[in-house]
Amino acid sequence: MSVISFIALILLVLVAGGFYYGRIRSIRLVQGDTVLLHSLPNYHGYYAAIWAGLPAFLLLAAYGLFSGFIVDRLAAIELHTQASGLNARYEQLVDTDDRFRDLEQNVILLGARVETINAEIDTARSGVVQPAEQVALLRQQALDLLNQSTRAEEELRLYSQQLAAQVSESARSEGVSLVSLAGFELEQTPRERRTLFLSDARRLTEGELASRDTPELRAAGAVISAYQANFRNFVAVSALVLGFVGLIRAHLKVGPGFRARNSVERLITTVLFISSGLAVLTTVGIVASLLFESMRFFGEVPLHEFLFGLQWSPQIAIREDQIGQTGVFGAVPLFAGTALITVIAMLVAVPIGLFSAIYLSEYAGSRFRLTAKPVLEILAGIPTVVYGYFALLTVGPALRALFGAIGIEDVDLKSALSAGLVMGVMIIPFISSLADDVINAVPQSLRDGSYAMGATKSETISKVIMPAALPGLVGAVLLAVSRAIGETMIVVMAAGQGANLTANPLESVTTITVQIVTLLTGDQNFDSAKTLSAFALGLVLFVLTLIMNMMALRVVQRYREKYD
Amino acid sequence: MTDALPHSLATEPTTASPTKVVARDINVFYGDNHALRNVSIDIPDRNVMAFIGPSGCGKSTFLRCLNRMNDTIEEARVSGSLCIDGREVYDKSVDPVVLRARVGMVFQKPNPFPKSIYDNVAYGPRIHGLARTREELDAIVEESLNKAGLWNEVKDRLLEPGTSLSGGQQQRLVIARAIAVQPEVILMDEPCSALDPIATARIEELIDELRKNYCIIIVTHSMQQAARVSQKTAFFHLGSLVEVGPTEEIFTNPRDPRTQDYITGRFG
Repeated sequence: MSVISFIALILLVLVAGGFYYGRIRSIRLVQGDTVLLHSLPNYHGYYAAIWAGLPAFLLLAAYGLFSGFIVDRLAAIELHTQASGLNARYEQLVDTDDRFRDLEQNVILLGARVETINAEIDTARSGVVQPAEQVALLRQQALDLLNQSTRAEEELRLYSQQLAAQVSESARSEGVSLVSLAGFELEQTPRERRTLFLSDARRLTEGELASRDTPELRAAGAVISAYQANFRNFVAVSALVLGFVGLIRAHLKVGPGFRARNSVERLITTVLFISSGLAVLTTVGIVASLLFESMRFFGEVPLHEFLFGLQWSPQIAIREDQIGQTGVFGAVPLFAGTALITVIAMLVAVPIGLFSAIYLSEYAGSRFRLTAKPVLEILAGIPTVVYGYFALLTVGPALRALFGAIGIEDVDLKSALSAGLVMGVMIIPFISSLADDVINAVPQSLRDGSYAMGATKSETISKVIMPAALPGLVGAVLLAVSRAIGETMIVVMAAGQGANLTANPLESVTTITVQIVTLLTGDQNFDSAKTLSAFALGLVLFVLTLIMNMMALRVVQRYREKYD
Repeated sequence: MTDALPHSLATEPTTASPTKVVARDINVFYGDNHALRNVSIDIPDRNVMAFIGPSGCGKSTFLRCLNRMNDTIEEARVSGSLCIDGREVYDKSVDPVVLRARVGMVFQKPNPFPKSIYDNVAYGPRIHGLARTREELDAIVEESLNKAGLWNEVKDRLLEPGTSLSGGQQQRLVIARAIAVQPEVILMDEPCSALDPIATARIEELIDELRKNYCIIIVTHSMQQAARVSQKTAFFHLGSLVEVGPTEEIFTNPRDPRTQDYITGRFG
């Protein structure tokens, strides 16, 4: 068992013990007359348990998250100090070496020349008339210089490596410690590869596979594992100390006048606050990323073109020699497709859902209601993907056959109608259960009042219950609309992908969600307008559903005020 | 049949007003719960009859038998004979919808519909087709609101929602709504329990006014209210009708010890 899990176990025991201790101490302090306590004995127990466990467990959690990073840092510092002698020797060697100095100067010189020639090219292109050949010539020269400079840099690097190798060679023969050598090697490693060096070292000591295996690496690994062990022991001891300190604190605090109940309450409030804060922060983060990426998209495609353009063809050339692939981002066909399918879905879902809710809440006997409601809720539980292939494989062909029979031949297998019908079916339980709640919330006294006036059931429903429930019903429908707009799977499978701008439900259309899916599946280059357009579409979707939900909430709230 | 009559009624000389409601051996079950046991009572016209008794004694249940509101409760069963103006209420040929137009009801909590004041009062006349023209409907609404003593307070805001009125006004609106269909009997189920004393006083005045034209039956928990507004009082206990008689007699000289205990506040 690892030290940390052992400590965690001990802490658990401390927590349990703390609970009983806090409880018993509080009872003892009042000689068993618990009425004298401000808080119930259990709260004293909770208080002791929290102080025994919470700080220590927080420490352990932080250890789990950051120990690797901290240990690496500490080991790197250690290695650096160990290597200081060798570093000094290397610096001295470099300073006195003529070839190194030449190479270094060469690199600096070439760098400067590259910059001058680049500046020359800029002036040649921008201002005064210059023969095209001259610009071409300059460009050629610049390219040559750049090559030379790169080569010089490479040479310098190789030579410095040689020098470093010399230093470590001689040091090794002198018997300098492996740790110093490892530190020197780490020092010579380019920054971006140092993490690799450290992780190799770590893996070697743990007996796992590493990319290299040298005595120096093993020495570095030993340093790391030593630090790791020390750090771990330090944390383990601190956690135990924290636990005991917490217990002592509880011991000192517990007493008749101590408000343990309030302290526990505060902790609960804090935990709840953090949870809700995390949820809110996540939302804010998602919206921010959506906004940010959309901004990048609107940097390439103007907003009005996106919102009012009539053509959607997001294919963009990946290589320059591809032709005819410029990408047009007019999202109106997508909006129209979304609207068409939503309208069809609502035409199906609103009447059926509403009527079934009315039947269930006003007419049905209790036995029918008890069976029908769960069945409706099962309908709500069917994964949308299943609805999707139901639309694609059953409804699509059936519609084609149906319309074929009455002489309409050009029905697409993937059509707005089939997607909309199936989406409507999917939304029925949503509307019906929301409407059922709303109708049930209409006070029974209104029904009684109407019946007592000699109204029939349907008169009562249409003249009293519906008007009373109307705001809530509108809210339910708006929520359903925002659900339909955001629904993805059914339309991906059954509505098609072609961005047709049409009002004919028998043709295939595409929706915002479908396009987002197609734009972002497969390998993507996250810089192109094509991919970024998905974020702009997502933003539109977000804004649309947000507006719908806010309207729905508004309406529902107004309705609530009326009866409370 | 008559042997089930409480002795007080049998010995009572006939009152000035003719009998409106005659109930014999009414039993009501809610599922397995025997809520009302063998209730027989005569209720005179143009009079206020008060039902008193502790909670759960069956007085509201009996009230709801009179306009067959118990029909709307799935598991309620009613047996016995109940006649209004000599016609059997529970006869198969009687349409509860028509019956309820003749027997109006006012509930414990004011329950105006979420409509305008005008539409609230016009609700009954509209569904029963009592007005031929808009002018007739206007006249019915005005007359009903007048009778309910609300006209002067609302005549300038007939189109505002009924729910915007105060509790006492709402209750009078509901009474206006009930009398707009010209019922013969008005049932009131604790009509003042949700109101303050001033609004209660107004409703009581109104009840006294309405007594000239209607048969009014009121369920109340307030003994003082029963004494103030009613001419006859019936005392219910544990689902049975214990005693019925002129209000004065019930309150000053009850025959049954249970009635005595209840009105003197020994149990309740």
